[in-house]
Amino acid sequence: MRFTIYQESRQGGRANNEDRTSYCYSRDALLMIVADGMGGHHYGEIAAQIAVQTLADSFQREAKPGLSDPFRFLQKAINNAHHAILDYSMRRQMKDSPRTTCVACLIQDSVAYWAHAGDSRLFLMRNGRLIAQTRDHSRVRLLLEEGIINEAQAAMHPDRNKIYSCLGGPAAPEIEFSRKTPLEHGDVLLLCTDGLWGVTSGESMAISLKGANLLQAIPMLLAEAEVKGGTHGDNLSVVGVRWEDAYIDEASSVISTQTMAKNEVTTRLDQFGRNPAYKSDLSDEEIERAIEEIRSAIEKYAPNK
Amino acid sequence: MAQQANQALPNGYSLEEYVIDRQLSLGGFSIVYLAKGQDGVQVAIKEYLPNSLALRNAGQIMPVISAEHLGAFRYGMKCFFEEGRALAKLSHPNVIRVLNFFRANETVYMVMEYEHGRTLQEYIQKHQGHISERFIRGVFTRMLNGLREVHSHKLLHLDLKPSNIYLRADNNAPVLIDFGAARQTLLTDQPMLKPMYTPGFASPEHYGSRNDLGPWSDIYSVGASMYACLAGNAPQAADERMKKDSLMPAMIRWDGLFSDRLLEIIDWCLNLNHLYRPQSVFALQKVLVESITPPNVKTRPTWINRFVDKLRKVDR
Repeated sequence: MRFTIYQESRQGGRANNEDRTSYCYSRDALLMIVADGMGGHHYGEIAAQIAVQTLADSFQREAKPGLSDPFRFLQKAINNAHHAILDYSMRRQMKDSPRTTCVACLIQDSVAYWAHAGDSRLFLMRNGRLIAQTRDHSRVRLLLEEGIINEAQAAMHPDRNKIYSCLGGPAAPEIEFSRKTPLEHGDVLLLCTDGLWGVTSGESMAISLKGANLLQAIPMLLAEAEVKGGTHGDNLSVVGVRWEDAYIDEASSVISTQTMAKNEVTTRLDQFGRNPAYKSDLSDEEIERAIEEIRSAIEKYAPNK
Repeated sequence: MAQQANQALPNGYSLEEYVIDRQLSLGGFSIVYLAKGQDGVQVAIKEYLPNSLALRNAGQIMPVISAEHLGAFRYGMKCFFEEGRALAKLSHPNVIRVLNFFRANETVYMVMEYEHGRTLQEYIQKHQGHISERFIRGVFTRMLNGLREVHSHKLLHLDLKPSNIYLRADNNAPVLIDFGAARQTLLTDQPMLKPMYTPGFASPEHYGSRNDLGPWSDIYSVGASMYACLAGNAPQAADERMKKDSLMPAMIRWDGLFSDRLLEIIDWCLNLNHLYRPQSVFALQKVLVESITPPNVKTRPTWINRFVDKLRKVDR
């Protein structure tokens, strides 16, 4: 296998980053994952981290070096991640379990298999054109498909962030699978969270990534999206890969798995915790909130009351 | 000193419902005052005022924070909140209690209980080298109760040292104070400010990548504090020990003056490798309260032991 891959996650204008990305590859297979921890529920970033980690762990265990049934692998791994999140919240006796979206794509023998739950998307681009994309599990998308609202209304819809399938919720996630999709030389697969696709259309991304070096083009896309997202913009995360024919020899940033040992797996997954680049700009409201929180803790834990 | 020191609030200044009595201490990050509440109860008030970022000149109340430092000032405030959050959740006789938290004068204040007493540091200085084993065991066993409570909330103190162990005047009951370095171990692994530690009491993990920080790091500090009780001063700093360890084991330095058990425990806690230390406060407490004296079995020294003993004596 030969490919160029790039992943990055940015905080945008939010107080913390609840997105997680990862990719791992063995000699014969490549797995990419993007998870967007849901705000509104507590500890979205934990759910996202568990999801990404569970999938990466499964891959490391099973891809030796290929997978016998990619779709079954995705199904099992995503379900395991869902249960791992529930277990986590049960152990911690959380009132509400943390939740996350998840989109994962596996490439093996130049065929892509993907699955998703929620509104993180996968785009498949060929020659600057969009040839496939996942359909969000959101109410807005349903309304859109039924023709009740149009694209412009969808972009402004109050419920545009509401999704009906996710990992960690009370109901099992509704996982949607792709077809087996053969890849051609130069195809670009982009997995991203709504922080990116919410402000940049798939079509325009396909054009800007056409023939470009992903290592430069994706950071540019993110920077642009970050500006568009504004001061309160969502987290934006992406894993992008350009697929290459095994016999074509060019760019040096390309990863070739030909020389890898059979049972070797390389994983790129950021360690859990705050990004060291995390800068805090405490606003007045945040100060008030922190003080309020401390005061209520003092109240709550005070003896003889 | 090139850096200007911050001026404390004037005595008699009324701050919310409290009246400042006098300044208790001045640190790099904060000033601690003794104050009186409405009900006449004495409290300690800690004012967040980092020396390098905010300056209060003589006669002023509001500190001057330049625009370029505002970001860093707020960043540090976050750490101050962490301390407040950490303490607010703890309710234990051996851990200082937070009574109130408020915002005034463009900064924030934490109100804590105040009791008459002194720090273990002051006690050590006064009793240079004449601290009884009974006292050490008594103070540390109770102090560890507090530390256990801290760890059970997934917190690490990270700046344990004799000057942060306060002894109540009436019964010498130890109280853990100054959680300025305390950190939630869950959810964060990146230190939020530049490392804060005291040489001699900070564990080797404090100096490195800090990924290995854990209960055992506080336990190193406990061992160092006990060592300081015997020695009268702080042991060699861990970073220097990593280069060239010249710290004489307690077992050798005070052989015969204290029980072997206590000396053993001190050396155990002061292991440079964190895996060789007691892994939890509970494990440490268990051996500390155990008072079995092993039967003194005298075996006939074999020739090799005799040889080793001789060498040891020469070494001393």
